[in-house]
Amino acid sequence: MATNPSQLLPSELVDRCVGSRIWVIMKGEKEMVGTLRGFDVYVNMVLEDVIEYEMTPEGKRVTKLDQILLNGNNIALLVPGGMPDEEE
Amino acid sequence: MAEEDTTVKEPLDLIRLSLDERVYVKLRGDREIRGKLHAYDQHLNMILGDVEETITTVEIDDETYEEIVKTTKRAVRYLFVRGDAVTLVSPPLRT
Amino acid sequence: MSEQTADAGAAKTPADFLKSIKGKQVVVKLNSGVDYRGVLACLDGYMNIAMEETEEYVNGQLKNKYGDAFIRGNNVLYISTVKDK
Repeated sequence: MATNPSQLLPSELVDRCVGSRIWVIMKGEKEMVGTLRGFDVYVNMVLEDVIEYEMTPEGKRVTKLDQILLNGNNIALLVPGGMPDEEE
Repeated sequence: MAEEDTTVKEPLDLIRLSLDERVYVKLRGDREIRGKLHAYDQHLNMILGDVEETITTVEIDDETYEEIVKTTKRAVRYLFVRGDAVTLVSPPLRT
Repeated sequence: MSEQTADAGAAKTPADFLKSIKGKQVVVKLNSGVDYRGVLACLDGYMNIAMEETEEYVNGQLKNKYGDAFIRGNNVLYISTVKDK
């Protein structure tokens, strides 16, 4: 195994986000914002007070969800701190 | 456990209980099939018999912009379903 | 199982979440955008799901109903709880 030159492992960064807002950008035209409650080795995530944004040809579709388990399979990017202009 | 277990403890039990019954299978690409479930494995590869496949396509009329839904059916005696194409399996209604 | 650090006690891992929603009303959304609403019977490590009294919604419109339904885990985008109305 090569040594990791960075001070922080990616999973440690995610762990630091537990309890705060996180912005999840999926592969494809979908984004979610929610409070991270926990995650596992696949970065499947438990999110609370979620807002789901779907970019469709008809425009942005917004769905609010109480608590979800998000499959880690389709996650592209994670942004700690949430979305800059969350409330639409 | 010698007796036949009819409880659903894990999702695949639902499939196990549907063996030799007709099931409805939804596949990627808006394909649907109905057939008698002969065998399956943990990937959800399945062998179905007396199958009816329904293919649904939606076209938009160029002039009226109306959606034209077309369904095509065809019958297949026996087929193998590759598990990764499966999205949903519904067993027959039990009473 | 992943070893959670510091706040493991407070964190709700996917496994905890799944335990807490068995037998509850849920929404399962697939990558295709289709929603399934029903009672979660059970699930496994692949996120394969068995549901009861399942309703299928496409673009918010009810399209189908199934007594029991098996949903293959690889297509699952998320599993959501439903607020009691």
